[in-house]
Amino acid sequence: MADGSLSAPAPKLTPGFRASLPVLFLLVAGFLAPLVTVAAYAFATPKSFDVFRSFTLQNFAAIFDPQNTVWTSFAWALALAFCCVAILLIVCYPIAFGLNKVFGKWSGLVSVLFVFPLFVSENVRLYGWVLFFIKNGVLDGALKWFGFSGGPELLYTPGITLFGMVYVYLPFMLFPMTLGIAMIPRDLVDAARDLGAGRMMIWREVELPLAMPGILIGALLTFVLAAGAVAEAKILGGQSVITITQDIEVAFTYAQNWPLGSALALILVLIVSGLALAAMARLDLDKILGKR
Amino acid sequence: MSSVAASSLSDSSAAPKTPRPVLQLVDVRKVFDGFAAVDGISLDIEEGEFVTIVGPSGSGKTTLLRMLAGLESPSGGYITLRGELINDVPSNRRPTCLVFQSLALFPHMTVGDNIEFPLRVRKMAPEERRRRALELMAKVRLPEDYYAKNVMLCSGGEKQRVALARAFAYDPDVLFFDEPLSALDYKLKKLLEKELKDLHRESGKTFVYITHSLEEAMVMSDRIGVMRAGKVVQIGTPEQIYSTPADRFVAEFFGEVNVVPIRRTEGGWLRRDGKPVAVAPGLSIDGDEASVVIRPEYMRFVTEEAGADNTLSGTIFNEYSLGSRLQYQIRSRTGRTFLVEVPRAAAWKGDGEVTIGWDAANAIVVGG
Amino acid sequence: MQTVGRTRTHFLIRAWTVFVVLAIYLPIACGALAGLSKGRYFAFPVRIFSTEWWGKTLDSFEIHVLVQNSVLIALIVTVLSVLFAFFGALAFARYPWKGRRAFQRLLLLPIFFPQPVLGLALLLWFNALGISPSWKTAVVAHLVWIVPVVTLVIAIQVFSFDPVLEEAASDLGASRLFTLRTVTLPILWPGIWSGALFAFLLSWGNFPLSLYTAGADSTIPKWLYSKMVAGYTPMVPALGTMSTLTAAALLLGGGLIRLLIRRRAELRAREG
Repeated sequence: MADGSLSAPAPKLTPGFRASLPVLFLLVAGFLAPLVTVAAYAFATPKSFDVFRSFTLQNFAAIFDPQNTVWTSFAWALALAFCCVAILLIVCYPIAFGLNKVFGKWSGLVSVLFVFPLFVSENVRLYGWVLFFIKNGVLDGALKWFGFSGGPELLYTPGITLFGMVYVYLPFMLFPMTLGIAMIPRDLVDAARDLGAGRMMIWREVELPLAMPGILIGALLTFVLAAGAVAEAKILGGQSVITITQDIEVAFTYAQNWPLGSALALILVLIVSGLALAAMARLDLDKILGKR
Repeated sequence: MSSVAASSLSDSSAAPKTPRPVLQLVDVRKVFDGFAAVDGISLDIEEGEFVTIVGPSGSGKTTLLRMLAGLESPSGGYITLRGELINDVPSNRRPTCLVFQSLALFPHMTVGDNIEFPLRVRKMAPEERRRRALELMAKVRLPEDYYAKNVMLCSGGEKQRVALARAFAYDPDVLFFDEPLSALDYKLKKLLEKELKDLHRESGKTFVYITHSLEEAMVMSDRIGVMRAGKVVQIGTPEQIYSTPADRFVAEFFGEVNVVPIRRTEGGWLRRDGKPVAVAPGLSIDGDEASVVIRPEYMRFVTEEAGADNTLSGTIFNEYSLGSRLQYQIRSRTGRTFLVEVPRAAAWKGDGEVTIGWDAANAIVVGG
Repeated sequence: MQTVGRTRTHFLIRAWTVFVVLAIYLPIACGALAGLSKGRYFAFPVRIFSTEWWGKTLDSFEIHVLVQNSVLIALIVTVLSVLFAFFGALAFARYPWKGRRAFQRLLLLPIFFPQPVLGLALLLWFNALGISPSWKTAVVAHLVWIVPVVTLVIAIQVFSFDPVLEEAASDLGASRLFTLRTVTLPILWPGIWSGALFAFLLSWGNFPLSLYTAGADSTIPKWLYSKMVAGYTPMVPALGTMSTLTAAALLLGGGLIRLLIRRRAELRAREG
């Protein structure tokens, strides 16, 4: 993993290593250590707090027990995340393209419009959709006002959960994608056109491959975040879908079964970080961020 | 003092004679991850001299300059400034100043702020600073109203002058230049070369300049050092380097040349085609392989009226105009290409089959 | 022919973007509407508008405490994360060093991590250390994911910073501190300013981390959630709207300050 090469002893403190120390300390104490604790709890006796004192695989046995339906939560979380990524790819591509090539001087403003929702807590935004879709809400009320029989019953379904995810994670797809498309040198597109390539061919052979690093980051980021999502299912989905994070939360809170929750979390973390690391290994961050 | 440095000193016939060199390098080296970027350089630089180090990219000249400026510390050897060892003196404590290739002007400051920067470091009073900055701007021929101009809005030549004024504001003993003119167009470059030379003369300061351009080096320098693979292969006046290059590398680096490989036999030096070569008397070359180097202007068309010590025949396959001169490319029977440069008045009137030649006195024989 | 096709594509792209932007702001508008309607329960179309619930929200002592907590956490997070991230960004983008690529990846991991899971993991960790959760632990939790974000924001600025400028300053006699004060910081200032703004706003709006790590102390998003799940009152959309407006005002103010500073610099340059 990443810390393999980091923990290698640095004989003399280079300026770069010295500058990294505060953040490194924070990440070790606030990110890696909690993950290690989760991993340790995952092997503790079920429903106990005997962390580091007991070692058992009972928690995993319980999860993989065919009687246990917890796998449906995993399946829901991953399936929803997958659909969310697929939808966002289609929703965001035209906008990302527009930010780079169409909006011109407006693209700054459009970017800000897409960034701003990130600063509004997601539950507030999701609750706005509840007010929109709820009975006597904005949609239902407006349709009745126009003489229709009222809005469809969309709230508290798996579909609306997916909608909420797409809504919340849109900026996380849009911005990496925009960065990716910005990496396509104009000359190359012009050269391809000059060589007689049609628009589809330019897109398929030149633009898409060159924008791929950014698109990949966006897809990965949204997948990971969506796989761990919980607020959408709770607020919009009305628990019609139980995602894995909700199972973890229940194990940690109501059930007071920390070892089981940790085991579930560990499996999720392994799936998620495996994906993240595999994709990140292929990316050159200097190139993506530093357009020097 | 090392004997290597002493011998290089004896070459500096054109430099003003002063009792002690201002900057002295003894066997200076710099190793990066096992690779010797600078591989044992000894050099004396005299007070008030304009020394240019030339070399292809990757020859270590920038690394050498960065060590002199204090931005890298040497892995070995000694650098002394007026007799004091400065190996590990950081750049901000050295009375030397570097004009960077990118110029490194502070983009968030005005022209005036940039020039005053070293004066602010010295806590000079604001009015005094301003007075000095305007003085320096006049010296580098920048209009006075540029004082409050955003430095990023200046043109390439103006930026150049700001960088120069800023360096002078530091009032260094030695100024270093890292190819500052490389990004400019030809005409501006020529103008600034002259101005730099004037500035050098007026200020009496020591300039050490690096470049990969032969022309720049020839125009401005009192002495030129040629670097290759981390070593100084030759140092001398522009004239010395041009007319008596130490080896084939120096000869080829200093412009287009014709090279004829030769071999020592019992009967004397022979060309590849077996013909004997007339060389200047008193030639001493180690080894049995050597090259005859002839500059295109010393190569000429051989006719019945005007013969030459050495001749070869070939075919003209290209003709270029160099303005007042013409250059011909001639392919010899053995397939080698030769360059002949003649004044426009002496243009070749005959057909494509020609005999060309050179005199032994105009050729240089170098080892390898 | 190609240009006709292109204009049509561009029109479609513009129309789609406008549609998505409207969709993004629709729920926020719904919230604002609900907060301003008089009835105890929301119904559309709104029959009577009133600022009653806004008034009640502003007068509530409970909400004053929430706001205090949220501001306090966000301020501390802002200051600390800018400090951490400034050096982090130098390590990320400025210096070539051996562990840099590994550092870059490690830094991204918290961003590429589901926040609810991170919150729960931190809760476990604090418990293992014997620290009872409070607003202070929430600060730590916020830092774990906000510092990487702010580091990236500042790093983008650092990437465009030419390290030769620092060498030039040093060569002209400046000490490290003087160089930092007069060259490095002024040039990185826009990135640092954006980073600080991001830090405050992200902390201000954060819900999943606060939910699990703030213990008995509540923040605005946490309180809103508890009321959404059980016990709706129009104070929920009212407070949500206020919080959104605060964020918008900060973003606008922050942007304006940056713009003003740039204008002033440009003006000064043009005078010259």
